[in-house]
Amino acid sequence: MTADASTDIILDARNLTRYFGGGYRFPFGEMPLIRAVDGVSLSVRRGETFAIVGESGCGKSTLARLILRLIEPTGGSVRFEGREITGTPPEAMRRLRRDMQIIFQDPFGSLNPRMTVGALIGEPLSVHGIASGRERDARVREMLRLVGLRPDHAGRYPHEFSGGQRQRIGIARALATRPRLLIGDEPVSALDVSIRAQVINLLEDLKAQLGLTLILVAHDLAVIRHTSDRIAVMYLGEIVEIADRDSLFETPRHPYTRSLIDAIPVPVPGARAARTLLQGDPPSPAAPPPGCRFHTRCVYAKDICRTDRPALRDIASGHRVACHLAGELQAHTLPAALETVSAARQRRVALFAGAQGIPASNA
Amino acid sequence: MMAEATPLLDVESLSIRFGPSAPALVDNLSFSLKPGETLCLVGESGCGKSLTALALMGLLPTRAQPSGRARFEGRDLLTLPARQMQDLRGDRMAMIFQEPMTSLNPAFRIGDQIGESIVRHRGASRSEARKLALDMLRKVRIPAAEKRLDAYPHQLSGGMRQRIMIAVALVNEPDLLIADEPTTALDVTIQAQILALMRELQRAAGMAMILVTHDLGVVAEVADRVAVMYAGRIVETGTARDLFDDPQHPYTLGLIGSLPSLGRREGRLATIPGSVPPPDRFPAGCRFATRCPFADARCWTETPPLTGIGAAGHRAACFKAPIEANAGGLAA
Repeated sequence: MTADASTDIILDARNLTRYFGGGYRFPFGEMPLIRAVDGVSLSVRRGETFAIVGESGCGKSTLARLILRLIEPTGGSVRFEGREITGTPPEAMRRLRRDMQIIFQDPFGSLNPRMTVGALIGEPLSVHGIASGRERDARVREMLRLVGLRPDHAGRYPHEFSGGQRQRIGIARALATRPRLLIGDEPVSALDVSIRAQVINLLEDLKAQLGLTLILVAHDLAVIRHTSDRIAVMYLGEIVEIADRDSLFETPRHPYTRSLIDAIPVPVPGARAARTLLQGDPPSPAAPPPGCRFHTRCVYAKDICRTDRPALRDIASGHRVACHLAGELQAHTLPAALETVSAARQRRVALFAGAQGIPASNA
Repeated sequence: MMAEATPLLDVESLSIRFGPSAPALVDNLSFSLKPGETLCLVGESGCGKSLTALALMGLLPTRAQPSGRARFEGRDLLTLPARQMQDLRGDRMAMIFQEPMTSLNPAFRIGDQIGESIVRHRGASRSEARKLALDMLRKVRIPAAEKRLDAYPHQLSGGMRQRIMIAVALVNEPDLLIADEPTTALDVTIQAQILALMRELQRAAGMAMILVTHDLGVVAEVADRVAVMYAGRIVETGTARDLFDDPQHPYTLGLIGSLPSLGRREGRLATIPGSVPPPDRFPAGCRFATRCPFADARCWTETPPLTGIGAAGHRAACFKAPIEANAGGLAA
């Protein structure tokens, strides 16, 4: 696939499919069959940050759960460090979970309010028989320090913490077993802007410090651009484009990726003067359009797009796209104005960051 | 153009407390809005931006104690009797909320929900109201509008529901629309559609708008003027250009620095250390002092007033602004 043989692939998904619904269920009658994830293949390299982006209902969270086998696939396979995990028996699967962990979007809903922070972080250590008693307590304190909390926070309950701190607790819990792969399902989207930046920086630090591989599921493209090495764009259960960060943002090939990038509001007045907006809502995944699933909203759609489903194909080195017309479309570039930030703004933001000992940052 | 000199809404020293000895969650807020103008109230959770919006709409919980003045078309919204407030609300001023899922009544058909305020304020008959509701659905570009009149909210997508909310709010052509995070629950492509629609309808009707948001990208796209709020106070205000090209208050700088850019990566994000203190632990002086890298003794004890800086109308509440002149020693 995209990676050559010499690349160390930590996770390899082939033709993953997950359908929901279908059949007859009392008292609702015939249930529609939802193709939440429909034939997705991807490989994640060891040590990289791989992002899966798309809008609500595109199947990105389902894909993340399939990768961890938190839900069973309808078809396809997942290999983690060369081992097939789709058919792994429960006991062996539990051992594997030490190595692959997840952090969730909602820092309020994902921590049991009746457990102390120490118990929450210590739980995976007991479950996996990694540490108990004093050793476990020591490990909990170490984890708390690692994510920027205080060791004495171990005795407190989740409600005593702010959203950002709770997300740190979720990260500590996920990292307690020293996993090699960490999946973040919208890990920062429920947080305030300033807190979001803290958690992004923390994840980046931890990744470097612990040698993690990170898979981020997100809808915020600016966050993705900042944090990821490679990006897969999903639409209605399929990957429509997959590329390195810079080529995806600088030469997006799929019309959907382009619309997505164009739709992001940017904090530079006037930068978005002229653009064409995507019209309409995405179709229901219960009744995806035939051919290319994006053709109902695509301004370039031709006859072939309405009948033939485009396969994901290489269009440049490491850049794959599922579009019949990708080779013919005009180059698409971000407006230059997106980069033009005033000198005063640059200088003062740098002063602000510098006063906290943070090296130069984007203004 | 003459009319533009008189503000449509003039808020003066608005404070909101819950209990006489409690700290002000909205503290001494003053701003004004001209007809047709868009003001963005920006800030993070708990900064008082939604509370301010609710106060203007007369929708504060009864425990809340607002003080100050908010003149709207000559009347003070804070002291207006409930009955007169009801006459204004949904007619001359309207509000859109963040959650299109929960702010529509699930038990009523779309057409009736849009028609309700026409019947209430215009005394229109049901069939007239239905006709106007249909026009409104077309204006907010709901496909197959005729059919949607009889749909229930659960039959529509999030983006559609937000269009319905806009239709409900705008059906009586209000002079002022207050929109509280109207696109936060929506996907980016749908958000872009809704913002474009709001802008277009606003222009057509000459309506003024207060947009409450935490998203600086949205601010840059829609705002004429901006007020950045922190812990209940306006810390900086000016045109969108002032705010983004000449930001002055350290909190504004922190917010801007926290945003990843869409362009090439330029290193780590600047962050604002810590989090907003709970109201009972607000410092006596500048409320941002607990997180500000430039704060000194004076900042902790004395409240900096909103003072003119840079272009006309641009004001910041910071003793250290501009920081390159006054905080250079610290930063080095």
